[in-house]
Amino acid sequence: MPAPLTSEMIEANRARSAAERAAIDASCRGPVLAFAATAVFWLLMGSVLALIASIKLHSPYFLTGSAELTFGRVRMAHLQAVGIGWASLATVAAALWQMCRLSRAELIYPKILYLSCALWNVGTFLAVFGIIFGDGQSVEWLDAPRYAPPFFIAALGIVVAWVVAVFRRRREPHVYVTQWYILGAVFWFPWMYLVTVFMIFWTPATGVVQPIVNWWFGHNTLGLWFTPVAVGTAYYLIPKIIGRPIHSYYLSIIGFWALALFYSWAGMHHLIGGPIPGWLASASTVGSMMMLIPVLAVAINHHMTMRGHFHRLRYSPALRFTVFGAIAYTLVSVQGSFEALKDFSEVAHFTHYTVAHAHLGAYGFVTMIYFGLFYYMIPRLTGREWASPLLIRVHFWCAAVGITVYFVALSIGGWWQGRMMNNPSVEFGKIVTYLLPYLFTRSLAGILLTIGHLAFATSFIMNLAGWGKQRSGGPTFFVEPVGKAT
Amino acid sequence: MSAVDLALFLTVIGSVVLFGGAAVLALSWAFKSGQFDNFQRGSLSIFGPDEPPGEGTDAFPGEPSPRT
Repeated sequence: MPAPLTSEMIEANRARSAAERAAIDASCRGPVLAFAATAVFWLLMGSVLALIASIKLHSPYFLTGSAELTFGRVRMAHLQAVGIGWASLATVAAALWQMCRLSRAELIYPKILYLSCALWNVGTFLAVFGIIFGDGQSVEWLDAPRYAPPFFIAALGIVVAWVVAVFRRRREPHVYVTQWYILGAVFWFPWMYLVTVFMIFWTPATGVVQPIVNWWFGHNTLGLWFTPVAVGTAYYLIPKIIGRPIHSYYLSIIGFWALALFYSWAGMHHLIGGPIPGWLASASTVGSMMMLIPVLAVAINHHMTMRGHFHRLRYSPALRFTVFGAIAYTLVSVQGSFEALKDFSEVAHFTHYTVAHAHLGAYGFVTMIYFGLFYYMIPRLTGREWASPLLIRVHFWCAAVGITVYFVALSIGGWWQGRMMNNPSVEFGKIVTYLLPYLFTRSLAGILLTIGHLAFATSFIMNLAGWGKQRSGGPTFFVEPVGKAT
Repeated sequence: MSAVDLALFLTVIGSVVLFGGAAVLALSWAFKSGQFDNFQRGSLSIFGPDEPPGEGTDAFPGEPSPRT
């Protein structure tokens, strides 16, 4: 039987572990902050574009003087700014930082990642402004002009190589479930992107194969790029913040492999009722329903881990955002499974109901978890606490209320829009008029979200500028646990 | 079948083989290397002597992190 550790040995162990974690954070500080800061920039750009597009839907004479600001261009530019800009750059920041921490390995040659960050931002700039100036492609999610993809491919290649390199240099023998998710994402997404660009732009497939490839990519961008990293982030943050291991680690592994098995089938439900083979849509519907397995696994796990610890939502900003995102993940995924049923699609398809669903996924789930990650990660990278608790509270409530109002308004309006569109006796003009209050409410929700983003960006800039209080609790604690505070 | 059709066909088949093969390889590596042998230990791997289970690691700025 080993001798019990003395208090000096415990302290020495603690200090050694803290120093190792600090060295790992220091090794990836520059590149991760570069990806995170530029992500926040594109979030603000995307918010402005979203507001313009939203207002145009209920006030069609708003900004009609220029071709650059027509709805079609602004809406596509918004998608690129938030999808390829904000969410993807945040995904890379999340993947890099968590892979370093969980592998207990320092980032090697970090300066190369600055090149990746620059390439990604040049690509996003070309995508957003190329679309605004008329070079957009009429392919959802791949609206970027043809000169943008090479920048993304090069940037992505570097990121993937570095994530794999960190994993191969790991000192921690166990591969935590978050690492599985990150490795899945960096394996799936580049391959999906290359195949799609190849089959749609470089060697175009003909006929219905194009929309099939298009929606295989479009849906999987959420499911096999954002979702794995965001769910993996929740699997890291929730236990770390509350200091309690995942309720069922077994279930978390089941969840990962079920996602890997079923998610890539689901994209074709976007084409239900379209000119694709019936079996393809049916197979996709089955895949969508099978997604209930990983979703419920994650939902049960997160809820049971949090059980008895919900009071901590009052104390931790990172936990508050992350738990909101985890709940939204369950809601949007269960909703998505049923939305894939053909009877449901008869009403909800081609309506604002789908827009509400997409935003619950991309914002309520993915973005909220990334906000949570940033609130946890940034102070550990810069060594400074957030300067203003008020700004964090403003951000949370604007984001939470904003996305809830957005989702509820468009879901109700969109559902009745679908019912009316299916009724040939209802005039189309009447449907347009009916939707006006819902679209107006969406703009109000968008304003709330943008106010939240401004508060977040202000906090972020203040932290980078060194305005926050220097963390006094050693290299790893945001706030030293009670009894240890100096 | 034209050259373009053949290229697209090979891309799709190649994707199926690559995705499926990678999943099988990863899963078999995980079993062989003992990743699934001890789930309890796996769930604790994110903690360390400096951030042990039972200690929270986040709070609003200026407010103490309560013990769990």
